[in-house]
Amino acid sequence: MNTIKKLTKIHNSGNPYIIYKSDRGFDLYTNFSEKIFLNKSNINRFLNKKKNSKKSKSTDLFIGFFGYELLNNLIGIKLPKQKSFNFPKGIFYKPEKKISFPINLKYEDNDKNNFKSKFELNINRKSYTKIFNKFKKKIKSGETYQIKVCTKYKTKSKINPLDFFCRLSQSNLAPEAFMIRDKNYSIVSCSPENLITKKGSVITTKPIAGTVKKNKKMNKYKALSYFKKNIKENKEHNMILDMERNDLSRICKVGTVKLLKIKIIEEYKDLFHYVSLIKGIIKKNIKNIDIIKAMMPGGSVIGCPKISTLNLLNRQEKENRNIYTGSFGYLKFNGDMRFNIIIRSILNFKNFSEISVASGVVVDSNAKHEFNENYIKAKALIDLFK
Amino acid sequence: MIYIIDHNDSFTHNVVHQFSLFDKVECDNYNNISKNKLEKASIIIFSPGPGNPKNYPLTSKIYKKYKGKKKIIGICLGFQQILFCEGAKIVEQNKIYHGFQSSIQVINNKSLFKRGHKFKVGRYHSLKLKEPFKVRDFEITMRCLESKVAMTFENNKDKIYGFQFHPESFLTNHGNLLIKKILSA
Repeated sequence: MNTIKKLTKIHNSGNPYIIYKSDRGFDLYTNFSEKIFLNKSNINRFLNKKKNSKKSKSTDLFIGFFGYELLNNLIGIKLPKQKSFNFPKGIFYKPEKKISFPINLKYEDNDKNNFKSKFELNINRKSYTKIFNKFKKKIKSGETYQIKVCTKYKTKSKINPLDFFCRLSQSNLAPEAFMIRDKNYSIVSCSPENLITKKGSVITTKPIAGTVKKNKKMNKYKALSYFKKNIKENKEHNMILDMERNDLSRICKVGTVKLLKIKIIEEYKDLFHYVSLIKGIIKKNIKNIDIIKAMMPGGSVIGCPKISTLNLLNRQEKENRNIYTGSFGYLKFNGDMRFNIIIRSILNFKNFSEISVASGVVVDSNAKHEFNENYIKAKALIDLFK
Repeated sequence: MIYIIDHNDSFTHNVVHQFSLFDKVECDNYNNISKNKLEKASIIIFSPGPGNPKNYPLTSKIYKKYKGKKKIIGICLGFQQILFCEGAKIVEQNKIYHGFQSSIQVINNKSLFKRGHKFKVGRYHSLKLKEPFKVRDFEITMRCLESKVAMTFENNKDKIYGFQFHPESFLTNHGNLLIKKILSA
């Protein structure tokens, strides 16, 4: 059976499945034998589950996501009451089948989308500017050094996630892209950001901080010189690097946390990103839960320092972030793991699609610029609703 | 043993790793300080952190108790905390340095470091020491070349040291050497 037919068949079967970007193409996971809804009280047990892995199979793993609220709870931060549509806080699946697909993902369409292309924004520019200025004062007084304000685009719709994901992968192939199709919800993501790659005792993280819009004048080379000259972007990135070094240092051996790549450029459909890569060797006796707690929620999408900034954000934000700035990925039975940061994602649930984006307030950022940067980040996803 | 008090910062574990190159390090959160470890420690470190020294009265108490008895080192907020305990005013700056690399210079003969020597260092501070600041045995020993803001103090009599910049940042060149010299003083 060719790959198009294979994918069409799985999709049309109506069964839940997950697709995750791999080195060469995509991996599809399905035939789930377990589905675990995570919450505050069972997450410890889930992460420390001991599994017999003598003969390791490619499906010896749990794949799924941690939502933002759950990751806060895990590090002892409680969220105030927020507007929420009761989306699950975290779900993991045990697949029994894994199929690899080439990079050019295609299927035969007979599932129709039903959507409008008009989105509503939960915070307009005026209230965004107000929040922005409030946080600037907090930076002046030293309560936070950098804070990421989240805005949400919403539209009433029922989408076919595979159609969206195939189109998205063609227009904007991202190293941490994934989709989940379950009975009552779906997620389509072109996340560019890897938070944890762990193989044996080696762990890496690849923070992104810095975005510039792509146009005819802006190529990769010019993007690099733009970032190099831009003091504000550099300061923001430096801060994230020191914070990620810190988070790795919680779980890594002394002297092993190293910057492998400092400030390189990655190119996407509508933008360029400023990216670094940090590596460490994990200490003995570190458990899965210690790794998750040290690294999540990923600092580059929160701000710095993490705890006080999370508290400021949570007091400000009136709506639950749901999956946004949570993490998707897998945990293998042998302890290896790969997790991204859930950004650039569409969550479709209860006939609503929502896209959340955030950009950073630092002392010399400008409200109009950041508000527009939010739109650039959402654009590749909003364009799919056409 | 070196005991680090973590003021809820996202850089504290970089400090832990840096000091661990030289001695055994214990680190506890500000809300979870151990009297036992404080007693056992030969050196106490006040970590960086958000907010200002008024937010951390326990650290001030610890400083006053152990001043002159143990070596005490403050980094960023910790630097401000010690000066605050010595009666200094800690104030907002017009220009804020977060994630900024600055050149600083040793400006004092009483420093462990050679006068005139220049360093490149990483900075993450909203607040600064209000000057003039004059307290017996405390010397401002390094300043930012551009803004002249105080970057280190040394009290070589009581073995109390403070860095307004971050010796553990990847933006600081030769941070380990700085720490080594202070530890062996």
